Amino acid sequence: MTGAAMFLIKKLSSLATVVFGVLLLTFLLIHLVPGDPVEVMLGESANMADREALRADLGLDKPLIQQFGSYLAKLAHGDFGRSIHTKTPIIDLIKTRYPATVKLAVLSLIIGLIVGVPLGIYAALKANHWQDFIVTIVSVRLSAMPAFWLGPMFMLIFAVWWGWLPVSGMEPNTSIILPAMTLGFGLSAILTRMTRTSLLEVLNDDYIRTARAKGLSEKTVIFRHALRAALLPIITIVGLQMGSLLAGTVITETIFSWDGIGRLLVESIEKRDYPVTQACVLIVALSYVLVNLLTDILYQLADPRVRRA
Amino acid sequence: MRVFNAIIGFCLLFLCGGNQLNAGQQSDAATAAAPIRFAVAQAPLNLDPRYATDAASERVNRLIYHSLVDFDAASKPIPKLATWVAISPKEYRFTLNKSSASFHNQAALTAHDVKATYDSIKTLKDSPHAAEFTNIAYIEVIDESTVTFHLKQADQHFAAKLIIGILPKGLISKNHDFSHQPVGNGALEFVSWQNKLSLKRTTDGQMITLTEVKDPTVRVLKLLRGEADLLQGDLPPELVKHLQAKPEIIVKASQGANFSYLGLNMRDSVLKNLKVRQAIAHAIDRQAIIEKVMVKNTRIAGAILPPEHYAGNAGLKPYDYNPTLAKQLLLEAGIELPLKLIYKTSTDAQRVRFATILQAQMRPAGIDLEIRSLDWGTFFEDVKQGRFQLFGLTWVGIKTPEIYSTAFGSQNFPPNGFNRGRFSDAELDSLLAKEDWPAATSRIHAQLPYIPLWYEGQFAAFNKNIKNYLPKPDGNWDDLATIAYKK
Amino acid sequence: MKKFSYSILGSWLIAVVLGHLLQLNPNAIDLNVILSQPTTSHLFGADDLGRDILARILSGVEVSLIVALIVTVVSLGIGVLVGLLAGFYGGRVDAVLMQITDVFLAFPGILLAIAFAAVLGPGIGNLIMALCLTGWVSYARLTRGQTMSLRNRQHVQAAESLGASVPRLLFRHILPLLASILVVEATYSLASVMIAEASLSFLGLGIQAPNASWGAMLRDAVRYMLVAPHYVLIVGGCLMSLILAINLGGDHLRDTLDVRKEVS
Repeated sequence: MTGAAMFLIKKLSSLATVVFGVLLLTFLLIHLVPGDPVEVMLGESANMADREALRADLGLDKPLIQQFGSYLAKLAHGDFGRSIHTKTPIIDLIKTRYPATVKLAVLSLIIGLIVGVPLGIYAALKANHWQDFIVTIVSVRLSAMPAFWLGPMFMLIFAVWWGWLPVSGMEPNTSIILPAMTLGFGLSAILTRMTRTSLLEVLNDDYIRTARAKGLSEKTVIFRHALRAALLPIITIVGLQMGSLLAGTVITETIFSWDGIGRLLVESIEKRDYPVTQACVLIVALSYVLVNLLTDILYQLADPRVRRA
Repeated sequence: MRVFNAIIGFCLLFLCGGNQLNAGQQSDAATAAAPIRFAVAQAPLNLDPRYATDAASERVNRLIYHSLVDFDAASKPIPKLATWVAISPKEYRFTLNKSSASFHNQAALTAHDVKATYDSIKTLKDSPHAAEFTNIAYIEVIDESTVTFHLKQADQHFAAKLIIGILPKGLISKNHDFSHQPVGNGALEFVSWQNKLSLKRTTDGQMITLTEVKDPTVRVLKLLRGEADLLQGDLPPELVKHLQAKPEIIVKASQGANFSYLGLNMRDSVLKNLKVRQAIAHAIDRQAIIEKVMVKNTRIAGAILPPEHYAGNAGLKPYDYNPTLAKQLLLEAGIELPLKLIYKTSTDAQRVRFATILQAQMRPAGIDLEIRSLDWGTFFEDVKQGRFQLFGLTWVGIKTPEIYSTAFGSQNFPPNGFNRGRFSDAELDSLLAKEDWPAATSRIHAQLPYIPLWYEGQFAAFNKNIKNYLPKPDGNWDDLATIAYKK
Repeated sequence: MKKFSYSILGSWLIAVVLGHLLQLNPNAIDLNVILSQPTTSHLFGADDLGRDILARILSGVEVSLIVALIVTVVSLGIGVLVGLLAGFYGGRVDAVLMQITDVFLAFPGILLAIAFAAVLGPGIGNLIMALCLTGWVSYARLTRGQTMSLRNRQHVQAAESLGASVPRLLFRHILPLLASILVVEATYSLASVMIAEASLSFLGLGIQAPNASWGAMLRDAVRYMLVAPHYVLIVGGCLMSLILAINLGGDHLRDTLDVRKEVS
């Protein structure tokens, strides 16, 4: 029990460091990139006095370190500030945008798993037969195409030609399916390959041979023993992919007009709406490290070697 | 199952090569209760007219709010909410029309609202429009429907500046969040703004929704699928032609008035030479570009304001494409060929397309144009800071000839104006002071602080069951006040 | 399968060489043949500026492959170095290096790409840098894990007790055992770098006009998919075939090198 607690504490502290690092990096980058929030707010023709007044008002005249410090202090009180352009409290933006990203990420992951894992098992069982070859080709084809190609193709086929699904947008509810498919298919290709590979490796392992020698049925061997061991790399991949899905998938969100965090991030950079950029990066980094933590815990739980020990 | 279908879809795609695009399903929405869905390339950012600066917000705000003054077809200021008289060069008296609609919150519009609106702009610290009204000394309410603006300095064009929508005083004093819950007295009343902006027309209750769809292809797909009813502008001409060929789509086109140009940096050691600027002007084949890669109704431009504007100049003779002459001019200027120039533009695909054509057209003139496409924020910042040799931009919605001073006056270098190329010419300054527009525009055309390109044609595409919508020269969305389903 | 993948790879290489020999002009615009269907003078048709699609594909594949190769090699170099050090020293060094790695993983790469283009100007060099900065992380993690287990191997311990220097231990005794798994990983990431380049091109942050890359071509092709389907299908098909070949090549490489047996 203490071991588990120690593990958690260690993880959480490193998590905090990583988030701090990301915040610092963002802060520095933002100040490196051309573009001045005061000018964004007041426009080009504002006079100098007004500019300086607003700059002082926003605390932008202070040294960088101090600005970063006061930013962190505000964050600690849960104050994200307001968007420069829309004057919306950023917390409200995050509250509407982030759930949309999570919804899309989860559904994409489910599609990826439903398609990828069974195909991977199938390919492993038929390793080096023509079926294996077909599965590989199809999955690579899907993963080979960037979202900005796959997305419009899906729209053309499923929405415009066949009329089954909406082209884009947030409503009706079915409109999530095409973007989720666009992301999920890419994911499924990775999962197919990973499942196939790790299953093949496990099937050659000693303990599987033992299980087979004990006379267990092939079904039991595969689904009880082999698949569990093969689960580990799959968990790792799912964790990593989930991390990047939750970071918002800029291109898919843009193409499908899906109001998620990725699109918010990129638009905020384009418009130099820095408080929004900061907040988005924070959310993205937090979800990344949290998913990572979850992956680690799952890994510990699922590792047969850990369990056997 | 879906997956399976997707795979089939994929195979089909390769078989039929995408040529059998069938007609988009007609939405069964042709009833009066259905909203009219407008797919826009860029959603408005801020619906408070005191803050809004982007084109989309201004276009929507024109419909939600009314301003004191508007412009006629020749861009002369005309009464909207109020008529005015200049009592003296420093005093303007506005009398509100008796028939003005009340605000959407039922409050009647009075002179107090006018005063409160403009007073609040002056006191807001972070309003981008505050600088335009620093000349107001104070605002005096005479009676419920009369208000006088007292100016610090005489300004005979003052009336044309009063185009900010009027807000209700009661809500201003409560610090109402107009940015997200606008209340005006315009044709469209704000309903909600989540992923889409929903507006209701006050006269007949027709709902109109605006959805942002960034990708041009997706906008077209949505229109074809019947998921959007209307779109306007921001499409490559090939897609407009594609839509025109569709029986279920109507495309309406009109002339445009938004001026596209190449900005030049006068501080640059090469570009400050007039011969070099002339050479660049002669190295662009505008006619070929307009014919081949621009939408219909695009016209060659001579000046920022089009010829039909009251300060327009129809007599400017366009620079023709003559690479030989251009090369000769460069040689006369003592330039070693090829002349290397850097052209900055945004990452927009159509803009990059123009840039590539310019590059190819300039090569025979001995100009080696390097293209730098930058993300919008960086690009615009570079332009404002004067970090450029050449850049390409468009002026949108310019109405008053004051633009010639703010863009080219020697007193108007940023941050005191938009003279980003730092052009300075005493003769032009005196012409501008005299407001001799024909002479000033001719001088600008001869001196070439900008290389004028074109006024891009406007178009709108909509479902064939829609009527009463026409695109406007400056690209505004005013016809949302009249658009309707066919009965 | 391997013949299939190598023949695709081989034919692309031949095509690139041929493209050079024939001195195609991928940037010659002709506004009269904009988006025209394949004809005898333009075998694959013409693009949105009337440029020959075939010529652009041939020059584009070269650019895309070079970008992918450089990014992969540089990322591999950085990642392996970080991973070796972290895995070898363990303890605090490991903790610090891994935190840095995590920061880069958790940081949205798109922001980095935009910042690079904004500060240093857009272009192929900065595109490569931005991709490297996000690319090295996975190699670092992989190398670290493997190094940790190799560190306690007898031959490494023996060499250490004989007084071998750290660089010698790392590069003579540990790295060679890692080589095969890294090569396989690198092969796969070649393909993903090509997609990443395409994605940045979609956002307008890729190769600058007029130069061709497959990513930029794909973006343009998708824009005109309704009016010139041949363009999007040809470019898409080429990209698919190349990435398929690279991936299958990676699979084959892994099978022949039999990565797992050597390391664990």
